[in-house]
Amino acid sequence: MTKVEAIIQVSKLEAVKDALHEVGVEGMTAFEARGHGRQKGHTEFYRGREYTVDLIPKVKLEIVVADEMVEKVVQAITAAARTGKIGDGKIFLSRIDEAIRIRNDERGESVL
Amino acid sequence: MTTGADVRSELADLYGRESAAIEQEFSVTGEGRTALARRTALVDSMVQRLWNEIIVGSHLGSHSGSNHSDNPNNFALVATGGFGRGWLFPHSDIDLLFLHANDTSENEFKDPIRRFSQELWDLRLKLSPATRNLAECERLDPNNVEFAISLLDCRYLAGDHELFTRLREKAIPRLVGRECQNLIQNLAEITRARHHKFGNTVFHLEPNVKDGPGGLRDYNVANWLALISAMEKLKVWPDDKTLLPVSSQRAFDAALDFQMSVRCFLHFRHGRHDNTLFWEAQDEAAARKIGVSDADITSAADWMRIYFGHVRSVHRVCNQLLEEIPAAWSSLYRQFQGWRSRVASDDFSVVDGLIFLKQAQQSGGLRDPEMLLRLFHFMAEHGLKLSTTTEYKVEQALPALAATPPRGAELWLYLQETLVQPNAADALRAMNALRLLALLLPELKGIEALVVRDFYHRYTVDEHSFLAIENLHRLKESKSEWDQRFAELQSELEQPELLYLALLLHDSGKAVPGENHVEVSLQLTDSCAERLDLDPVDREMVRYLVASHLEMSAAIRRDVFDPSNVKSFAEKVGVPERLKMLCLMTYADIKAVNPEAMTPWKADNLWQLYIAAANYLSRSADERVHTGNNDYGSSLAHLRSLAPVAGKKINVFLEGLPQRYLRIHGASDVLAHAEMAARLRQDGVQLNLKQVRHWYELTLITTDRPFLFASVSGALAAWGMNIVKANAFSNAAGMVVDTFYFTDRFRTLEMNLQEWERLKKTIAAVVKGEADVARMMRDRLKSEKGSGTKVKITTQIEFDDGCSAHSTLVQILTQDRPRLLYRMCSLVSKHECNIEIALIETEGQMAIDVLYLTSGGSKLSADRQAALGQALRDELAAQ
Repeated sequence: MTKVEAIIQVSKLEAVKDALHEVGVEGMTAFEARGHGRQKGHTEFYRGREYTVDLIPKVKLEIVVADEMVEKVVQAITAAARTGKIGDGKIFLSRIDEAIRIRNDERGESVL
Repeated sequence: MTTGADVRSELADLYGRESAAIEQEFSVTGEGRTALARRTALVDSMVQRLWNEIIVGSHLGSHSGSNHSDNPNNFALVATGGFGRGWLFPHSDIDLLFLHANDTSENEFKDPIRRFSQELWDLRLKLSPATRNLAECERLDPNNVEFAISLLDCRYLAGDHELFTRLREKAIPRLVGRECQNLIQNLAEITRARHHKFGNTVFHLEPNVKDGPGGLRDYNVANWLALISAMEKLKVWPDDKTLLPVSSQRAFDAALDFQMSVRCFLHFRHGRHDNTLFWEAQDEAAARKIGVSDADITSAADWMRIYFGHVRSVHRVCNQLLEEIPAAWSSLYRQFQGWRSRVASDDFSVVDGLIFLKQAQQSGGLRDPEMLLRLFHFMAEHGLKLSTTTEYKVEQALPALAATPPRGAELWLYLQETLVQPNAADALRAMNALRLLALLLPELKGIEALVVRDFYHRYTVDEHSFLAIENLHRLKESKSEWDQRFAELQSELEQPELLYLALLLHDSGKAVPGENHVEVSLQLTDSCAERLDLDPVDREMVRYLVASHLEMSAAIRRDVFDPSNVKSFAEKVGVPERLKMLCLMTYADIKAVNPEAMTPWKADNLWQLYIAAANYLSRSADERVHTGNNDYGSSLAHLRSLAPVAGKKINVFLEGLPQRYLRIHGASDVLAHAEMAARLRQDGVQLNLKQVRHWYELTLITTDRPFLFASVSGALAAWGMNIVKANAFSNAAGMVVDTFYFTDRFRTLEMNLQEWERLKKTIAAVVKGEADVARMMRDRLKSEKGSGTKVKITTQIEFDDGCSAHSTLVQILTQDRPRLLYRMCSLVSKHECNIEIALIETEGQMAIDVLYLTSGGSKLSADRQAALGQALRDELAAQ
């Protein structure tokens, strides 16, 4: 099993969710996140005051999938989240040893 | 003789068999009270059996041969808390007190008590034991007030009956007599903390039937407060049938039967001590008609309305007692309430923080709808609660009111005054609880105690709306960084009452199940606006807010830093006042979903979108109307439909005016301005002066000329008027439409009607160059003393050449002061700059002025910008 962590633009959440459903991903966890890579902050002046946002709002998705699904999932996310500009986000993959369903102690890939 | 193992096995059989029978009976009858009584009797019999087996057995064993009775002296077994009351729910704890007369018996029975408790635990009963001697029971432990409270429900089970009688008849009355104030204050504190944990509202979508406000715990608290208070006075146990007023007791009894059944149902359903009424449990309870066997229930929502009806009455009485009883004991509290009683009016008196009708109003005063509306306005203004007798009077007045409910402008007048008061939400809640709100605004009837299920909302729809209103009122006093930031916006609103009305109505459409509640909310808003006879412009604003209340939440889910998103959103909103209201509405609405819903992430995104859109609106004000452009087709068609014969005149008038003009002014204003423009041939200066809400509005239509805006500003200042807002626009034909909004500092216009005409004549003379503004200003200066400034604002001047194709924008932020606009605009004209558009705002002590300037028909050169900037800085540095 592999954990896919995707940091994407806020505006792309719905498109990514739809794309993941299409490839058969049924569950995911989404977090409100902030951060920046090469894309830097933003400054706006209002009523003579400066409002600077160093960390840009993003959404972080976490999905654990069976290994054979990983490439499909990555493709779905990149296709739905890509604009081609700086700030589109990142995807990180990591190994997962075990998954347990709390309701009934079920283990393994069937839990996903 | 039976062995310990035999007894355990016998009791386990008995417990299993009888528990199943109780559950079976409950599944048929749904009667909680009967199930509790059977279960209490079952556990009574088991503990008594164990007592005889272990405690009495041990006693006899250690005193064999001596002349002792079977039951030990100086030691008794007492049921306390819920067990003492006889309310043993299927998975409740069993509160037992091992009561000793002194330390000797305590030492003697230490081991048997351990074995006794062990046996109960082995039988899987959740025992909560306490061991005390009589003297300890009579002392209040400040760290365990709950134990003293649990003694109020004590009940004899076994052992030395005389010892129990000493506890109940002597020790407890003495404890209560001595510690009455402490007990009441602690109980009130614990209860308030518990209510706070549940957001101080009964209206949760998935309520806790025990600990939630209005739940069984509140029932107990109300009884304990009344009992402590009565026992302190009588020095003995009072008759528990007389503790509460008859009307409260009736409502309480019905609520208790219902809630006992519901909690019992939940324990059986969940198989554990879980008192949360989840959605699935609501469905099942409604299908099984738990607690309401004779009611006509068609859905879970119907059943929940009955649930909320019961808990609301318990919560109300509990809160009233929490106000009334501690008041009688605390001198500080009395002092505070004494201070509050000073707010009494001609109609109402205030005693201990509760509102009473004055004698003159007792006989049917509330049948006068105005009096009724004044009552809730008074409540909203002062943050007071209604006394029980006042609530009763309101309820009595409702049938007569229902025949001819107030409506129209009079109702709106009272309602808007109530909505803007700091405690408006509490007043609305009280009106709702007494069924008055739905009587006045039937559009809200459908959302009364309405549960709409989603994963985010925590409260019923009506409570969500009241909470949203409360959220806005609480902004000012909040210490949260975000609240403070949005509080600044709130203080700038011109008509906050419209925002509050929109919040009240925004989810009213949820009463009709379906996909799009906004459409139904809009229909109900139209009906409500008709009922209140709202001014067309106000109606449009409320309608806009209700229609758009989800727009900004959706917009913050897009990239709030993307200029095209900001542009698209800002253009949809159109004008700054709408933007402020929509932003505040979104903030309050999200916050009212649940306490965690407004995360810093969302608040930051909302703020960033707001400031970006506000800046966009200031910087795009000079995009012009071209009547041939299809974008304006619908606006123009609407205007023509209102004035069919004026079609061409309107086209000529609008051509080249900034688009902002059409966003600011409604159709009736535009038509009136076009009429004025058509009269320019007869008289070259057209003026209209009217009083609008808190200020006066002067509209000037004339041909553009140098110093025009400055001169009119100067003339108004010379009359002592304080300009708080102004707009200046010009069309392609060189005609200007300037609007000045001002307050009348010396009440000149209010006190002297003839001065209206004189002011207009002065303005006309100034525009025509027939009056000397500078001289008028000098006269005003001589007669006026300077006033101190409360907040120091540093002047900031910023030029922007990029945001307009034709003009240079200058934004000036500076300390507001008399004649400021005149001084600035005169200087601009002296530098040969023409004011194409002026957007003038005043927020507190800060003047925020945006001017679109041209010089010789073009943008300002860098040199001219530098010179004008320096001149403005010098001028504004001088007082």
